[in-house]
Amino acid sequence: MIAVAAIAAVILAAAADPAPLTPEALRARHAGARSLTAEVVQVKEGRYWARPLTSHVRLRWTPGRVEWETLDPVPSTVVIEGDRVQVVSGGNARDLGAQARDPRFAALVRFLRALAAFDLPALEGDFVLAWGPREVVATPRPGSSLSLVRKVRLVFGDDLEVRRIELESPSETTRLEFQRVERVR
Amino acid sequence: MKRNLLVAAAIAALAFAVERSFRLEDDPIRSLVMADPVAAALFDRYQERSPFRGRIFVESDGLSPAEQARLSEILARAGYREVPFLAAPDPARLLDLASQLPAGTVDRLAGEEALRARVAEILAVAALPGGGEALRQLEVDPLGVGPALLERFLGAGRGGEGGGAPPRVYESPRPLVYAEVEKVEEALAALSPRVHYIGADFFAVENYRAVRRDVLLCSTLTLLLTLGLFVWFTRRWVLLWLLGVGSLVSYLAGVLAIRVFYAEIFAVVLVYTSTFVSFNTESLVHLSGIEEGRRARTLVGIWSAIGTTLLGMAVMLLGRSVLLRQMSIASIAGLLSFLVFLVPYRRTVDGIRFRTVPLPGWTAPRWLPAALCGASAAGLLLVGPPRVETRIDAFRYQSAALGREVDHFSRRLDAASLGDVVAVPATGSPSEALRPLAAEGLLAWDDHPLARFQDPAAQEATLAALRARWDGARSLLAQITESEGVRLELPGSPPGRRLGEWEYLELLGEVGPLRWSDEAGGRRFVHAGLRRVPPDLAGRGLVPLGPRTHYDALLTDLSRQLGWLFLAGFAAMVAYLAWIQRDAVRILYVFAPVLAVALGFAAWSRLTGTPLTIVHFMGFSLVIAIAVDYTAVAVSTDHGEVELSKILLTGLSAVATFGVLMLARHPILRSLGATVVAGAVPSLAFALLVRLRRAPGEAA
Repeated sequence: MIAVAAIAAVILAAAADPAPLTPEALRARHAGARSLTAEVVQVKEGRYWARPLTSHVRLRWTPGRVEWETLDPVPSTVVIEGDRVQVVSGGNARDLGAQARDPRFAALVRFLRALAAFDLPALEGDFVLAWGPREVVATPRPGSSLSLVRKVRLVFGDDLEVRRIELESPSETTRLEFQRVERVR
Repeated sequence: MKRNLLVAAAIAALAFAVERSFRLEDDPIRSLVMADPVAAALFDRYQERSPFRGRIFVESDGLSPAEQARLSEILARAGYREVPFLAAPDPARLLDLASQLPAGTVDRLAGEEALRARVAEILAVAALPGGGEALRQLEVDPLGVGPALLERFLGAGRGGEGGGAPPRVYESPRPLVYAEVEKVEEALAALSPRVHYIGADFFAVENYRAVRRDVLLCSTLTLLLTLGLFVWFTRRWVLLWLLGVGSLVSYLAGVLAIRVFYAEIFAVVLVYTSTFVSFNTESLVHLSGIEEGRRARTLVGIWSAIGTTLLGMAVMLLGRSVLLRQMSIASIAGLLSFLVFLVPYRRTVDGIRFRTVPLPGWTAPRWLPAALCGASAAGLLLVGPPRVETRIDAFRYQSAALGREVDHFSRRLDAASLGDVVAVPATGSPSEALRPLAAEGLLAWDDHPLARFQDPAAQEATLAALRARWDGARSLLAQITESEGVRLELPGSPPGRRLGEWEYLELLGEVGPLRWSDEAGGRRFVHAGLRRVPPDLAGRGLVPLGPRTHYDALLTDLSRQLGWLFLAGFAAMVAYLAWIQRDAVRILYVFAPVLAVALGFAAWSRLTGTPLTIVHFMGFSLVIAIAVDYTAVAVSTDHGEVELSKILLTGLSAVATFGVLMLARHPILRSLGATVVAGAVPSLAFALLVRLRRAPGEAA
């Protein structure tokens, strides 16, 4: 009886174990996604911010397009589509043009595009990825043009959905808490 | 048995040495270096700054996001990493150019509306994860002078982009894995014409593929044809064995000899080594089965043939082309090593007999060779020297698909006047140096950065506007950013200073993708894109910097040089034969068909307007090295039946070996094969069919 209970406990424990975080598991989790919407709370601290800046953001991703809509404190939307970056602010929309071609900014845009799509090959092109039990730590490869990012820590839930991202750059740290993530396949 | 073991040990040692030291270079263009150190330095520095090295370029604007994602994945899997088109300019150096903005632009940038828009835009970007660094732009450059300068100098249609969106740039993986590059090229070609692509990697892989196919095809066909000829003429397998093993020795010794002088061996040279079979056949056949009664005369013929062949190869050593030098070194080492290889087998060689082939012949009067040589020389004078020109397309292989991509990107560069960039020597100011070219309509002045250079008065007006608007703009900016919770340390004084033309061009070269000025050999040069390249480029002191113009000029120069070397080699052969043959009529007989062939080539070139290229001259050197052998042996042995049969065998072997090259995909090999066949066939026919009448009193 005790043996049966022990076996049952082991089986139940195994069944309760979350799926391990591996590149294959993450690829499988995000494969075939057609869109993603998430409510994000972002906190920024650093040299240029007089006080921690908390903003509420709506992230929308479809293949080839990322929309980063800041709802407050200063409403604005940044749309990344291919290499094009459009800023909508105060009722005006403007293509960033020359600024979008700034290599450092272009690298950041490339990173955000890959991050939103969970495009692992693209991320691995720019970063060395270290895999932990529930997190991935990404550091830019030597010689990478991603000078605006020093380290990225991605924390995943048991369902392999992203829960938190912490991003260190030379002048600030950014913490993103993901809420109400919806993915359509 | 002992002899064979020693030979096998020697071959194994050579193979081991080759295997340990062998390094292959697939793109023959990399063999080309300008002789003039100033021109070479200017070209190298221009190319160093160029964003085109070690990268591939892909225009994929026409793709859907999903297609683009798939393509990105293929590129990433092959090891290609997307990098920015331009390196980030140093903001301080960029702002040094502030005096080059029109004063009106400064007024617009310092206006309240522009400042508020700039802050809103940068704050939106700063709100992105990791985007806070964007605020540094406001701190370093509150007015946005830098972006305005970039727009003015590097905007659409200016300074390197050639209109339209710039292509995506991918850094090539190192080392290059051809199988991966092939997959990338296939994927890109499948998406063409919605996608355009270019990069040295594609040339390297296509040349590698072409050479790989050519090596296999040419070597197999050469082997089969030679086998057939030998079986028919001798029915002795030992001769084939000697030729096969001896050619292996030639190949290994040739490659090792190249390695003594060069770190890398060009792949196209390896394909060329398949022609060693032809040279070796000549030596082996003529040295085999020498009739005792005719030994002295036969040896004169043999040493005439081997000597002229070595001279023909040696003249290429004096040229500057690394590729031709490698071919020459390999040929000389290959031939000498084959002769050394035959030494232990001399008794076997002596015992070989050949099937004689009865050939029809015409006994020509003794004045005929002189008349033929005279007529050919007069014909050459009458026809005049043909045009000598080699273009880069004749020097390396490219598929039709890659050719279309080259055309596409050439058009884009031409649209930005960057297709044919030259360095113009300047003793005064850069604009003074360019004025004569602009007056002739050769220079696209409007596309040159000097067209946007502000004169001292305009610069002063800009600097005055910056000073006048600075404090007001700074205060407003501080007020806006503080209200958004942003703290900045704004600079107290505006950027910019007065610039001269030289300093302006140097700064522009530092912040942009292309160098616009340089110094070499104690002289100053200003760079400019030409609308069309004048034929007297070197005479004007202009140094080509664009790869196309640079390599065309370099190859044409090398062709002319090889033309002169060919003539020098010809003269050396005449002197050598005069010494060994000691009979003017015989010497004229030896050279009569070669001169007639030279006249034929000159007439063909003039009539069809086809320029003679470096490959033709290389072929001519081989033609005289090979074709002179037939007539030299024939006339030295008084057209003996056995010797004529040997000439038929060696001639057919040479025509087969070089004829097979005409099936090659690589243009160098194809053109070389055609030239040698066209030159060798008439000489072979002359040696076999035209017999020289004996001089009165000459012994039979």
